[in-house]
Amino acid sequence: MKRQVFVRGRGAITPLGETWPASRDALAEGRSAVEPVKHFDVEGYPSQVAATVPFALDARGLRSDKPSYAPKPPLDEAEDRRLALARRAADEAWAEARVSAAPSRIGVFVGAESGRATYGTIFALSRAAGGGARFDHARFGEDARRLATSVHAAAVSPAAVASALAARIGAEGPVETISLACASGAAAIVSATQAIRLGLCDVALAGGVGADVDPFMLVGFGLLGALSARGVSCPFDVRRDGFVVGEGAAFVVLAADAGDAPRAEIRGAARTLDAHHLTAPDPTGDGAERAMRGAIEDAGHVKIGYVQAHGTSTQLNDAVEAAAIRRVLGDALPDAHVGAVKGAVGHWIAGAGAIGFLCALEAVEEGLCLPTAGLDAPDPACALPHVAGAALRKPVEAALVNAFAFGGANASLVVSRCA
Amino acid sequence: MRLDGKGLPVVAVSTLTAAGLSGPGLARRVLEDGIPSPRELAAPAPSRPEDIRQRKLMSRAAWFSALVMRGALAEARWDEGRDEIGAFFGVGASGAEMDEVARLVAASMVEGQFSLARCGREGLDACNPLFAFQIMNNFTLCHGAILEGLAGPNAAFFSRGAGTLTALEEACAAITSGACERALVGGADTALHPVTMAELEREGFLRQGLMPAEGAAALAITSEAEAPLGYVEAVRFFPVDRPRGALVPRTGVLRDAAVPAALDALEDQPCDVVVLAPWGAPAREALVDLPEMLEAELSVDASLSLGESLAATPALAWVLALDLLVHLDKHRALVLSAGPDGDLGAVVLTKGGA
Repeated sequence: MKRQVFVRGRGAITPLGETWPASRDALAEGRSAVEPVKHFDVEGYPSQVAATVPFALDARGLRSDKPSYAPKPPLDEAEDRRLALARRAADEAWAEARVSAAPSRIGVFVGAESGRATYGTIFALSRAAGGGARFDHARFGEDARRLATSVHAAAVSPAAVASALAARIGAEGPVETISLACASGAAAIVSATQAIRLGLCDVALAGGVGADVDPFMLVGFGLLGALSARGVSCPFDVRRDGFVVGEGAAFVVLAADAGDAPRAEIRGAARTLDAHHLTAPDPTGDGAERAMRGAIEDAGHVKIGYVQAHGTSTQLNDAVEAAAIRRVLGDALPDAHVGAVKGAVGHWIAGAGAIGFLCALEAVEEGLCLPTAGLDAPDPACALPHVAGAALRKPVEAALVNAFAFGGANASLVVSRCA
Repeated sequence: MRLDGKGLPVVAVSTLTAAGLSGPGLARRVLEDGIPSPRELAAPAPSRPEDIRQRKLMSRAAWFSALVMRGALAEARWDEGRDEIGAFFGVGASGAEMDEVARLVAASMVEGQFSLARCGREGLDACNPLFAFQIMNNFTLCHGAILEGLAGPNAAFFSRGAGTLTALEEACAAITSGACERALVGGADTALHPVTMAELEREGFLRQGLMPAEGAAALAITSEAEAPLGYVEAVRFFPVDRPRGALVPRTGVLRDAAVPAALDALEDQPCDVVVLAPWGAPAREALVDLPEMLEAELSVDASLSLGESLAATPALAWVLALDLLVHLDKHRALVLSAGPDGDLGAVVLTKGGA
């Protein structure tokens, strides 16, 4: 028999709020944080909007007066935005959880992508190699030792986030950094769930962080044609034309011990790969469907009353996901509702699945189904019982959470209300 | 994690090192001192015409990963039901190819100054269309999985040692829980990427004798097999105290932790072969006496023999240990890895019936 996995704490910092309750209230009102990028010049970029946490953070995760974007070395830990965002969200979740366990029984599972240094660092490295159209490795080698002193480890290692959080909460159990692009945050919660079930730890801090509102990622996603040219994130809407980059962090504390008043439990978890094509998403949605079915099968007998969709606001992905949800829920579809958070806070990439999980948690714990911001004219190809315009209140026994990634990695979770 | 019975069978392996792309046979090359010094690998060319364009789009680590996946699948003869095969890899910070970055930067200059606006136009036009995918770590796993049609349970763990061990642990858990019956597990990475080199330099690893290298390894693991190469008997993590802010534990602390960790992983039973995978001289110094204390007949330092290829090194060490068991007809091996992510990793392997 599997060990049960209870949700004991939640925390988030989003472009709409500095805590999860503040963010949730803004989400419930249908607000969107998407606005023009202000912290660097985006003239000429394929997309000129983003959903940004509108202030800088210092190394402790507190508000800072410094500009939120530092284009040049030297860098220090305070300027690793992922770490600062993650600390804020993790602190909130940990404080709410009030769990106790031996350090060796506490694990940390973080979805974090991209080990790249900041734009400023990479620019400096490239310049050190001569600045021509070819990277001169020999010249770089000669200059590397001097330049290396300006590259902080935290700026280039995604594992730095998990290590720092482990040190902060005194965790000495498993410390994992899951890198599965847009599925990373949900996949980290899957890994934490499995670790508790297997008895590898009793308590887990799990979630994800994304901080990709920078020139390289706007160029990179622009090259893929994935960004909204209109500058609007509107999942499942007929006018959708791409996603908008966002940033933030979301964490939960999971535990084998239910505590005094358990409210939610993770019942099902699954990960699959599309293995379809190097660039194109699988138009059949087979991998997404297998992930959803795997999580529901893992959960056993549950009634899915809410689906937190991945909902990127791209043409193909939303249509494929909607069709897969219809196939998976079948006759149960009319009794369910579907929401997506990227219309409000943008696409956090590695953090996307984690903030989606918090939204689903709200549905099962409080009966609050958050609306899909930007969804004004639902696309018939994405026909689903959407939550649009305003939040919906209804009892939800169990919710399904989806996160699907570039590269075809899929993660789904089922979270249910405790009786 | 300790596996039931003999453990999980390993039916095939594939490696990419300075010695080239190979299945079994790495041990013989290592014992004969036949491995060239660590260097930038001449990445083998695509063997299938349809892969030629893909190779141009992929990062080096992703291409390495795809090659060892293909090698392990071929050796295991896993041609059917690939959509049910799991894939679990330790991956590094793949980073974009610096030539891509250089082209982007060069196209973004105006009168000697970098122009963000020009970056968004001309810089964008100068780039590989999959630039973003080169930057994302998961593509070290996903590109290979796409080329080989692997669609089962999966995860990519960022690894500076322990992440690759986590990949093995999750692969074993996926098989024992029934999520899949077969899985590829391994790692692929390059320590020669300029950003990674800068990181290693800054943290002092190069001064401490770490030999940066490139490499990849994949092991094909299954729920049951008649004549496997060997078995994974146990996968264990042992957290080690380290000073605040330090990337690696102090040598003495690591040494003190290593002996009980090894005995615990081995359940106080003997082992014939010890393969070590330490990062740099301090970690090596901490582990160097361990084989003698365990009265092992043979020990090999994978990081010295093959160079340090970061996320790939633990997987290369497992393959090396299995190959030593087969090559020397020994029974049991311990692989102990110590990277800067703060854990001692122990994997116990036994010889199979092949």
